[in-house]
Amino acid sequence: MPLVINDEYPEKLFRDDGKRLDGRDKTELRPIKMEVGVIENADGSAYLEWGNNKIYAAVYGPREVHPHHLAKPDSGILRVFYRMTTYSVFERKRPAPGRREKEISMVITDCLKPLLFLELYPGTSFEVFIEVMDADGGTRCAATTVAALALADAGIPMKSLVTAVAVGKIDNELVVDLSGIEDKAGQADLPCAITWFNEELSLLQFDGDMNLEEMEEFLSLAKSALSDIYEIQLAALKKKYIDIQEEVSGGNS
Amino acid sequence: MEVIVKMMNIKRVISAIEKNYIIQNLRKEERFDDRGLWDYRKISIKHDVIASAEGSADVSLGKTRIVTGLKYEVGEPFPDMPNEGVCTVMAELLPIASPLFERGPPDEQSIELARVVDRGIRHADCVQTKKLCIEPNKAVYILFVDMYVLNYAGNLIDAGGISALTSLISSHIPEGKMEEGKLVWTGKYLDGEYIVKELPLVLTYGKIDNMIFLDPSLPEELICDGKISISVTEDKITSIQKSGEATFSFDEIKMLIKKSMEIGKKLRKDLNFWQYKVNYE
Repeated sequence: MPLVINDEYPEKLFRDDGKRLDGRDKTELRPIKMEVGVIENADGSAYLEWGNNKIYAAVYGPREVHPHHLAKPDSGILRVFYRMTTYSVFERKRPAPGRREKEISMVITDCLKPLLFLELYPGTSFEVFIEVMDADGGTRCAATTVAALALADAGIPMKSLVTAVAVGKIDNELVVDLSGIEDKAGQADLPCAITWFNEELSLLQFDGDMNLEEMEEFLSLAKSALSDIYEIQLAALKKKYIDIQEEVSGGNS
Repeated sequence: MEVIVKMMNIKRVISAIEKNYIIQNLRKEERFDDRGLWDYRKISIKHDVIASAEGSADVSLGKTRIVTGLKYEVGEPFPDMPNEGVCTVMAELLPIASPLFERGPPDEQSIELARVVDRGIRHADCVQTKKLCIEPNKAVYILFVDMYVLNYAGNLIDAGGISALTSLISSHIPEGKMEEGKLVWTGKYLDGEYIVKELPLVLTYGKIDNMIFLDPSLPEELICDGKISISVTEDKITSIQKSGEATFSFDEIKMLIKKSMEIGKKLRKDLNFWQYKVNYE
């Protein structure tokens, strides 16, 4: 069904002053805001605003496995459900989960698994629910980042956090953190995630065309962006406890 | 008190001792969370929170939280209403929101939520469907009001009603017109003041034994015999839904309808919905 306004891509992705359409430099990230403990009922939860992306993640577990036949006698299982709301995108998404959401769920599951000690929780499941309320490019990276925070907030033992970011190529230039328009109109998109306990890549996808030198530059660009985002993650985790500490000491004095 | 509320909020089954505590409080016309029988929990509203949606609202009723977004499509009208647009309501109980919710296709509870909110809006003179017509028989707006529950702590229906209404009021739908059989954008937007007239509110009451109270919280909802939801506009009743196994006497219904008109009137004034109108250029 048609819309009154069409979704159009611009011809040029850089402004005349050399900045990107949203005013960023090539290696500049969009504004990122993270918060943990945002959903009262969940065992752990986190909220992330990354540019126009708005994502909630909640963790339930360890708990009984439904359906029961999925349970493993020698380890726990991790299940991630990445979903988007119908209104998170330009044209209304159908309510039922599509192929894209299922694939991303799987990719994120595989990315988070190395962090956990699942063998300590036989017969149980950890479920991570990720809900994209508003989407503007790079949601799988944002979702991975916020899912790691929610797991940590749930107090589940982890080897480390994981952080993800997308780097890409637009108008023949390498840039960090693609926005929605840049993702659709650009030439290449490389989402990647790093697990900090071994500093290796745990999520890696790539679409587009690129030569060897560019690929090397890409990875070093990604690495420095990932460190910046990691700092924000750590600060968000600590903030919850700093707030509690302040509340408690404020009450005593 | 906060601890008791928290403890009761995370279970499927309420223990006998907690149940008795709630009931004994109700007998004294008190609530376990310090409310009166006819009080709402704290309501807070944020509007236009989703950039991708053509209208949105983030509504909290106590710890219950619903984020609603409005999207549109242009499609053919129903044959029996050739010059009227359509407004549909959908609800999803996200597994994020509670350990009681499971993933998967909509269950009875989410369909009831969507339908009760939908009927409250549909039968009031709320959405001006005739103004949502671009060309009779050919093109009308189809509005989708989609509610997503982010935290479940009882009484989704009232929170849903408020969030659906707020997202409609905060709407900014691009105005289209037909030019030589093609849909073109005029550059203007239809706002909430244009498409919304009446402000229907839905009020839900729980019933345990012969005690009736407004806005059941989760523990109350889990132990109550039944509920009744009444949608009212400024001067009319637009829909009623009784659910659960409780029965209501004629006098109780009369009393509740009267109460709903009174409380609805006050709530509508307190929430001051028109402040959530968005001017979008």
